[in-house]
Amino acid sequence: MLIELRASDDRLRGPKAVDAAPILTAAYRAAVDGRADLSRLRFVCDYIQYRQNFRDPVELRRVEPWNIEPGSPAADGESFEIAIDLRRARPDAVDAGIKASITDPRECDRLPLEKWGPGSRSLIWGFNTLYWKALSLWEQSTGKGYESALPGGESDARNAEAARELILRLFALWDGLASRRALPEELYVLELGVGNGNQARVFLDELRRLDREHGRGYFRRLHYLMGDYSPHVLELARKNVAHHSEHISSLVLDALRPTQTLGFLRYKAFLVYISNVYDNLPTDEIVRIGGHLFQVETRAVLARSAAESLSASVKVKRADLPDLIARLLRVGPELLCEMLPESFPKPVDAVTFWRSAWEALRLEERYAPLLELDTYQVAPDVGGELLRPIVEANGDVRMHISNGAAASFTDTLPLLHPHGVLLCHDLFVTDVHQYLNGFRGPGKYDGSVVNWVNGRLLQAIGSRRGFDVSFAPFAYRTGANIMTMTARARD
Amino acid sequence: MPATKLLATSVVGSYSVPEWLERLKTDFYQRRISGQYLEDIHEVAIKAALKDQETAGVDVVSDGELRRDNDVDYFLARMPGVEIPHAAKTFYYDYYDAYVRHALPVDDDSATLGLVNDLRFTLQYTDRPVKFSFTGPFSLARRVKNEAYSNPDDLVLAFAHILNREARALAEAGAAVLQIDEPFLAGYPEEVGLAVKAINLVYDGIQGPTRAVHVCYGNRYARPVWEGHYEFLFPAILDAQVDQLVLEFARKGYDDLGLFKKYPAGTLTLGLGVIDVKNPAPEPPELIVSRVRQALNVLPPDRLMINPDCGLRHVPADMARAKLRAMSEGAALVRAELLGSTPPEGEQP
Repeated sequence: MLIELRASDDRLRGPKAVDAAPILTAAYRAAVDGRADLSRLRFVCDYIQYRQNFRDPVELRRVEPWNIEPGSPAADGESFEIAIDLRRARPDAVDAGIKASITDPRECDRLPLEKWGPGSRSLIWGFNTLYWKALSLWEQSTGKGYESALPGGESDARNAEAARELILRLFALWDGLASRRALPEELYVLELGVGNGNQARVFLDELRRLDREHGRGYFRRLHYLMGDYSPHVLELARKNVAHHSEHISSLVLDALRPTQTLGFLRYKAFLVYISNVYDNLPTDEIVRIGGHLFQVETRAVLARSAAESLSASVKVKRADLPDLIARLLRVGPELLCEMLPESFPKPVDAVTFWRSAWEALRLEERYAPLLELDTYQVAPDVGGELLRPIVEANGDVRMHISNGAAASFTDTLPLLHPHGVLLCHDLFVTDVHQYLNGFRGPGKYDGSVVNWVNGRLLQAIGSRRGFDVSFAPFAYRTGANIMTMTARARD
Repeated sequence: MPATKLLATSVVGSYSVPEWLERLKTDFYQRRISGQYLEDIHEVAIKAALKDQETAGVDVVSDGELRRDNDVDYFLARMPGVEIPHAAKTFYYDYYDAYVRHALPVDDDSATLGLVNDLRFTLQYTDRPVKFSFTGPFSLARRVKNEAYSNPDDLVLAFAHILNREARALAEAGAAVLQIDEPFLAGYPEEVGLAVKAINLVYDGIQGPTRAVHVCYGNRYARPVWEGHYEFLFPAILDAQVDQLVLEFARKGYDDLGLFKKYPAGTLTLGLGVIDVKNPAPEPPELIVSRVRQALNVLPPDRLMINPDCGLRHVPADMARAKLRAMSEGAALVRAELLGSTPPEGEQP
């Protein structure tokens, strides 16, 4: 039996520590009192910092046998992992939860909303997409803006000092290129994930001011492209920079495939600025156990009680909930209201249903063998082989693949001018060992999903494409988890 | 021109490097497989690359530069007098830190890079004319920390002296085309004079093969390293004792063809880039036709050779094959048009 504690130091000792001993004792007692093969049992104890998340305090995960030869007997036998949330678990509930989960796999306790599959294809991403598409309805319903759900209550994209530093570096670069007659007539800056437009506003205000001092007329040549998945967010941002309208273009685009919309920008962007986008993109997870690799498969479920209350609230049968939720995600609350007026007389009723379903949503997990890494696709142009050095160098570990971030990053790099730079503020895991001492997602930010981004993987992707990728703590706000990733061409 | 065919096709040098080969190369640089093991792998890969080029209808073929870790280190690691303190790499394609701490042994005839063995291997496995490309002295010098020469130009010229011995051996062994690649020159337009002087040293006394020079805007990791126009090459490049300029056009457009009108260049031929190697999608043969026709507005067909913009190393293998096939088909269509004949079977789109 193995017990693993994946919590930061300050959650295990000191004034903010949780009292883990009674929880571990209860888990140990429940295990030895039960009938499970102890040599095939793992306990993984996380401290889940997100108050809203997808887990119950105790969860059982099946580890499927890892056999290289198909059809051979399952020599590995049946293994289990029991996941405990150290923040929410109570010793008596741990004991009961473990006994119940080992003896009864909970099939009848929960209503599955989908089939098992990789995390990046989970239904939770449908909720995430809907949140950004129908953000205004969600905000009307909750009475608060999406930024208030972010840690610290605001995005990190509004610092004049940071903008000034960046602009002066751009001026130096442009001066150098101009002296060699290699400066293009149009100077492009791209922002992906524009928030409320404050970053664009600060950047453009500062650039205009500094350009007057510098006297080279760069502002006149500047095109600032704002790209976002949410038309609502984009519209808010556009209003915020209306006084720079002749320099701004706003584009609704898919962060996973920016070149689909921005093909014309290839090798032209001097600066790509991305803030808090990657942590909100789909991701798989893999786990290495005893040197073997597994993919974490997930399945969205509702607890029986939550499903009953939800179905009663909209006058449908419990068994019809999966279809109803799928329809909601497909058509959105307004159309759903038109299609099913007896369940949703007004759009606000559909939004209430959406929010309740989201709140009740849980993810079950199981581990499926990942036998051939080269056939696993991290992103459209990134094969699984890239993961090998990372997983082989770091022992048994569970980590995110950050597929969405990898796809977006890979597809954004070709937009950079040979001397361009990509700056990204986000939640990054910069050392694989960070996966051993903290929970990195998924969590819920209001109606969206958050996962820390595997920075080590993005570094490897960048490196294979000729970019140096470095990380530094966000320089303009202390005490935050936000890191700044910088990518620029090397050699 | 070695290929007597009008509008003969060729490659610039490198060929698609699949991910599995990258992994094996990296394994070698991390001491997980032996040099002998890697050499066997390279030979198999080169034979396959030759077959791919032949099947695609390429007239002048290359070994795909598949033995090389990158365009610089393969030469620096063999260059007498260059020191590379740390020979392990995280990824095979990374550049080494290389040093020249003492003057290079330019007068020592036994100091060679041994490139001729690579050529001899290639010649064993194809009946077609073979192009052999190598990075030129100007670009090699840009990647070295020079602690030996007070005048940096002297390092460039010392490299040129040593490469001249290689060029002579390659010519004697039967290379149909020798090509000096200068991937960094576009970043230092003010230094074309020095680069030309070094090129002339490398090709000094070379007779027989076509003497080519390839200048592009960079293709490391399939990205341009520089931007600009070929105007910087002219008229200085006309002093180079070369037969052919191999230039990039497909990605950047064909405006720079006008330079050949502006600077009449005698018998100098043009290796016309018609394949964009930074875009994996294969060009249709009709597009190749239109690109060749644009060049024919400026140069007669006997002064044109048809090739991709640069090496195909970053293009996936299936796309590389399709691109070369399209290039051959496009060239065949224009050739037939000029000769008033029908393109042969297999070269029709």
